[in-house]
Formats: sequence, C-alpha cells, structure tokens
Amino acid sequence: MKKNDLILIIVILALTAISVVGITVSRKMNKADVAYAVVTIDGNEYGRYPLDEDMVTTIELEDGSYNILEIHDGYAQISEASCRDQICVNHFPVHYSKEMIVCLPNRLIVEIVGGEENDVDGATN
Amino acid sequence: MKRLKIASVILIIFLIIFIWAVHSGRLFSDKADDSGEQIKYTATFMDIFDTRTEILGYANNEEEFSNQAELIKDRLVFYNNLYDIYNDYDGINNIKTINDNAGIAPVQVDEEIINLLKFSKDMYELTDGKVNIAMGSVLSIWHEYREYGSENPDRASLPTMDELKEANQHTNIENMIIDEKAKTVYLTDPEMSLDVGSTGKGYAVQRVMEYCREKGMDNILLSLGGNISGLGTRIDGTPFRIAIQNPDLTSTEPYIEKVDISDGQCVVSSGDYQRYYVVDDKVYCHIINPDTLYPAETFAAVSILTDDSGKADALSTAIYNMSLEEGMDFVNGLEGVEAMWVYHDGSKVYSEHFEESIVK
Repeated sequence: MKKNDLILIIVILALTAISVVGITVSRKMNKADVAYAVVTIDGNEYGRYPLDEDMVTTIELEDGSYNILEIHDGYAQISEASCRDQICVNHFPVHYSKEMIVCLPNRLIVEIVGGEENDVDGATN
Repeated sequence: MKRLKIASVILIIFLIIFIWAVHSGRLFSDKADDSGEQIKYTATFMDIFDTRTEILGYANNEEEFSNQAELIKDRLVFYNNLYDIYNDYDGINNIKTINDNAGIAPVQVDEEIINLLKFSKDMYELTDGKVNIAMGSVLSIWHEYREYGSENPDRASLPTMDELKEANQHTNIENMIIDEKAKTVYLTDPEMSLDVGSTGKGYAVQRVMEYCREKGMDNILLSLGGNISGLGTRIDGTPFRIAIQNPDLTSTEPYIEKVDISDGQCVVSSGDYQRYYVVDDKVYCHIINPDTLYPAETFAAVSILTDDSGKADALSTAIYNMSLEEGMDFVNGLEGVEAMWVYHDGSKVYSEHFEESIVK
C-alpha cells in the first residue's frame, strides 16, 4: 500500500462521516421546522400557513360564508366565522401535530401538519 | 504488502455498502417505510351522524390505512342511515320510517335497529327513565326552538310548559312494540316518535369496534363526535391517552383531565357547552330532563368511562340529568362504570375509581 492509497481511504472516510452528520442534521431540522396549519374545504386543500408566522386571513367560501383564521405564537384558531353553531370559534387554539378545528357547516378543516407531537390520542367534545 | 492490499479492498467495499445504506434510508432514517415498523395515521370524516369522525390507526403505508379507515367508515355510514330520524334513504326503512308510521303500521327493519331499540329500552330501565328514546315529541319541540333561536338570537324564546306537557303525554316507551320474529317495530301512539340521540352514536361505535375486532384489526382509536372507543393500545403497547374537553370554552386550558384507557374502554362526555341556545342571557342546552321537561343545568359536563360505548353514551346523558348524590350512588352501584362531574365553576367530583385512570 502506497502513501496515496492511505490518503484516499482517509478522504473517503472523512467524506462519509460528513455526509452522515449532514443527512442526520438536515432530517432533524426539517422535522422540527415544518409545522403548518393546513386548511381544507370539502376535502380539497385551500392553503397552508406556517405556524411560526403570525397572521390573520379571511377564508371566503363561494356561498358568501367565511371563517377567519388567526395564527399567533405558534397557535392557530378560528377567531370569527359566519356559521350558526360557532363550534369552530369556540374551539381552543391548536398547535400540536394532527390537532384540528372542524367547521361542519362550512365543511372546513384546519389541521396542524408536522411540528410537536401531542401526548393525547383523542379528545371528547 | 499483500495483506494490506486485501484489507484496503475490504475497507473500500465496506465503505461503498455503508454509503449505499445511508443513501437509501436504511440507516439514520427516522421514518420506517416498508421495513415492518408501522406508522401512525389519522382519518377524519365530516358527514356521519351529523358530527365529526376521527379514526386513529397504524399501518405500513397510507394505502393500507385508508383501506382500513374506509371499512370503518362504511360501517358507520350503515348505522348512520339506519338510526337517522330526519332523513329518508332509498331502499332502507330507518327510525324516521318507524316514526312516520306511528299509529299506522308496523315497519319491517334491519336487525341492527331492533338491537338498538332493545338496548335503549334496557338503558331506560337501568336509569329509571332518565334516558328515554320515546321522548321524540318533547325533544322535537326543543329542537325547533333551539334551531330558530340560534338563527334569530334576538327572537329566541322558550317553549311553554303547556306545550311540553301536552307533548309529554306521548312518551310512553311501552308503546314501542318490537316483534323480533317478524322483525318489525310499531309505535301504537300516533303522536309519539323515537329520538335515539342519547344512544344511537354510542351504540354504533360499539358495534363498529366489535366488527373491527372480529376482522382481526388492532390498535385503533375511534371517535364519533366525542364518543371515544379504543381497540387495543398504541402500537408501542402503551395505553391510548384521551383528553377530556374543558366545558369552559373561554379557558386557556383546552382539557380538564387526561385519562389512559385500556383495551375496549370508552369515554364520552355530555355537557351544555356545544349544542345550546341562549334566551335572555341564559344557556339552554340540548339535554332535556324527562322529569322536568327542561334542560338539565346542574353540571357543565359529566364524563363516563366504561367498557361499552353505547352504555357510556346513555349513562352520560342519564347522570347529567341526575343530582350529584343520585348519580354517585347510581354509578358506584354499577360494575366497571366510572364518572366525573364538572360544575360550572370548574370544580370536579369523581366516582369511586375514576382517579385510577387519570394521567398523573
């Protein structure tokens, strides 16, 4: 074995180590970063809003009814809606992965995708 | 020299395999795909029993889970159509058909309607009439006032006692005649109607979970409008954890308690915080006490923990209509039934063994 062979092996080893660290870190980063409030209407995606940006948007439906979605400090909530039962407005702000707010009259769902896992699997209502 | 050459060749081969393994995700990957480890999935449906259905399960991939969720959904739709009191469905005699034929003729129905009605009558007897599915005439009056009052808050009003008492003449559950051989149901009183709002959802969940168990499914959590039932555990063997909604919707705490449930256990809550209307600043909820013919108002919410979803549904309505003393005696006298009462000020009372399920 020549000196050059040894250098080659060391370079390959170093590259492998760097790539493993790189892959692991980038996977972890992606997982923690991507938390969205995904709005679907009648099963079709209407929009997705990152939880780390505070904002307010009015979601208008074809028939004139609406829901106002607010994101604040990593939590999403419906602050106002045209629906009769107001269940979506009364719902607590959602934050954890898979939590959702449903507005049955407007057939609208706000679901959290990605982000922190909740320790509960279901909730009574 | 030769040995070193062989060693370097082996080292390079090893490195190549290693790089390939990392690259294809077999190493250092958070996500298990087809490698045998199952992933958690959830499905939500909005059109069953006029509420929201959530299914939590585990599968190797999304397709496998969707197939499972669709099977469960199909069963729920089947029960939805049978137990509906407001809509007709082509080619099906349902509870509305029975109501439409009150005083006219017996109606031939699916066995699962007969099973629900028999179960509901058992619950009537068990709760000393605190849950009565033959109260449709009274409940429909409240339903109309509530619908109108929700849409026109300025003109919301209450039904008169005369009106309610007159309707209450037609709530005798003995006038529901079930012929098991002929598979017919007949309401002998033409003014009478069935409303299975206090038992239908819970009973359907119970039957669907039994179906899942028969089909060999495992590790499923089903919630039909808050009627929650668990089959098995989480995939890692730990129990499913259920949060109980805080009836005070203005609170920053969304949950008032968390409980761990074992295989087959069910949780359900009844309260005045979701379906209600307001008259002169006072809340009138959808749960009507058969004794007073008025909405019960002692508690903000009650929750039941037991091993049968139908029973959980019926009993939560029943104890919501009872005083604390009455309800406590009743629940502590039943095997395997636990309850939690929540007052409007947020204070809680537990039955004998409820606290054993609470997450510390």
